[in-house]
Amino acid sequence: MTSREQVSRVLQQHGALMVLALLVVVGSVAFDSFATAGNAASVVVSSSFLAIIAIGMTFVIISGGIDLSVGSLFVLGGVLAAYGSRYGPVVALLLPLAVCAVVGLLQGLVIARTGMAPFIVTLAGLLGVRGLMLALSDEGATTYLVEDPAFAALGQGGVLGLTYPVYVTIALALGAMVLLQRTGFGQNVYAIGGNEQAAALMGVPVARTKVRVYVMSALLAGLAGALNAARLSSGVTILGIGLELDVIAAVVIGGTLLTGGAGGITGTVAGVLLLGVIQSLINQVGNLTSAFQQVVSGAFLALVVVAQRLLSKAQRLS
Amino acid sequence: MKPPIRAAALALAVLLTASACAKQEEPQSAPAPSGTAGQQVVRTPSGSAGPTCTLEKFGGEKFDLTTATVGFSQSEKEANPFRIAETKSIKDEAAKLGIADLKVTNAQSQFSKQITDVQQLIAQGVRLLVIAPLNSDGWEPVLQQAAAKKIPIITVDRQINAEPCADYLTFIGSDFYEQGRRAADRMIEALSGQGKVAILLGAPGNNVTTERTNGFKDRVKEKAPGITISFEQTGEFAREKGQQVTEQLIQSNPDINGIYAENDEMALGAVTALKGAGKEPGDIKIVSVDGTRSAVQAIADGWLHAVIESNPRFGPLAFETARKFLDGEPIPGKVIISDRDYDSGNAEDALGEAY
Repeated sequence: MTSREQVSRVLQQHGALMVLALLVVVGSVAFDSFATAGNAASVVVSSSFLAIIAIGMTFVIISGGIDLSVGSLFVLGGVLAAYGSRYGPVVALLLPLAVCAVVGLLQGLVIARTGMAPFIVTLAGLLGVRGLMLALSDEGATTYLVEDPAFAALGQGGVLGLTYPVYVTIALALGAMVLLQRTGFGQNVYAIGGNEQAAALMGVPVARTKVRVYVMSALLAGLAGALNAARLSSGVTILGIGLELDVIAAVVIGGTLLTGGAGGITGTVAGVLLLGVIQSLINQVGNLTSAFQQVVSGAFLALVVVAQRLLSKAQRLS
Repeated sequence: MKPPIRAAALALAVLLTASACAKQEEPQSAPAPSGTAGQQVVRTPSGSAGPTCTLEKFGGEKFDLTTATVGFSQSEKEANPFRIAETKSIKDEAAKLGIADLKVTNAQSQFSKQITDVQQLIAQGVRLLVIAPLNSDGWEPVLQQAAAKKIPIITVDRQINAEPCADYLTFIGSDFYEQGRRAADRMIEALSGQGKVAILLGAPGNNVTTERTNGFKDRVKEKAPGITISFEQTGEFAREKGQQVTEQLIQSNPDINGIYAENDEMALGAVTALKGAGKEPGDIKIVSVDGTRSAVQAIADGWLHAVIESNPRFGPLAFETARKFLDGEPIPGKVIISDRDYDSGNAEDALGEAY
């Protein structure tokens, strides 16, 4: 790899980071209450749940797939955690993880063994899992409350002004970076996303790797749901609708290619924070109508994608 | 070269899909209600029942509303008449009272976003919060932060499941159970106590849906044993969903006599579905709750039998309650407003007061 290609790859992956830095600077200058500890904490804490799911999605997308079921798994995880909390914190955490892992395993097996498109398989997952959640909660009318104080503390307590889910997210992000860059599994994920046939010919265990990737994505979505239920002290049933699109958007503006084979965790984390900061800036302005808010956030995201594209193109031409 | 182009195109496609999900609402040139007509009125004498709260008991300190930062967190897009009128009422009243720094956020129906919105309003130093909650449960993180800073919270239209005067100040809104009962009375009257009725339920997980459903069912059970409720499904308070569910309803239960829609948007969706199925106005009696202009117009046109009002103009009452509280007056744990009803007798005259 030449140094020019290296620079272009860095730009592709860190376009989001640069726009993020720019927005933070602009926000700090324009609004007194933007660069405060309270506001920063709200952005980081609320981003942490999206980030946990986006870490799993990064693996899926690098492997050339997509997982549309994460929004439904997120809400199911929360409902199961709140329901399980009556049996103690261990059940509250393990019940959603176990159920989500089974869903991920089924999806992964179908995708890997039958060659069906991940888009369709996980779309079925999206619908089926939300249906399961509605069945467990009387069509969403019953909200289970978290009855175990130890489990609630996991979502609400914290140190140094940040809640525990933020530290969980940081640990998971670091672990995922090592897994992706320093292990054979990570190399296999890149190889499958780059060229599946070539990877298979080279002896990469394609099916096994794919199954693991979807199990991981489902597990992380369930974990995020469980932590969020602990934070809210209840299994809120109206969460997660359209969340998969936010997650995919964060991963893609973080520089991971939707076609697979390239991308990374740092970009994803930057992408998630970028979404959070855009939202926070809109709230700082504080008088945009809902329609205009969507225009602004849509425009920002388009800007990031275009900027990334131009940056990497300019780099290649020079 | 190729993959990045495709990826960029795909990414744009994803983002465009994400931003293209907005609902449409025809702009309404609603005339301003004349005088005090159309404004919320507190129901007497039982409108302010329950234990009261004072500034001293709440533990806050007095401040000047006009110079303070005030936050309003809206739950859903301003894409239906109720939300449009609600947000406008809060903004207009704040402007009228000279509240210079009103911060408005909109959660776009995403509950996680509403929690973050309110936390960011708190981070911006608001002294008073007016919240239209999307969901009744799950407010723990917000309530903790607001309590730590002694920020009074007034919830409007939906309730939060928490302790008034401790976790939040008070709730201003309608008696939804009573709305359900009154809707049932209108349905019983329309069907002369006999027939099959379908319910288009509101969005799950909030007290409005639960209470409008229970009120209706309890009243039917008590007054009209000849009416059976043979179909219930959620239309999520949305017009398209109401239409879709009604289309299925006509297929599965062609002998239905009445539809109780838990808001006007779903009722209007039902009207569209009935028109599509070749029904005439009045073939199936529809009763709904809200009192939007389009619904009141639909009464005049003969499609709806009656509409129980649920008044969204919370601005004057919300800020009046805040002012009283800051002046040290006792505030009830619930401020219940009185709602009117519309039927063929008053629909045309009342059109100007509907929202």
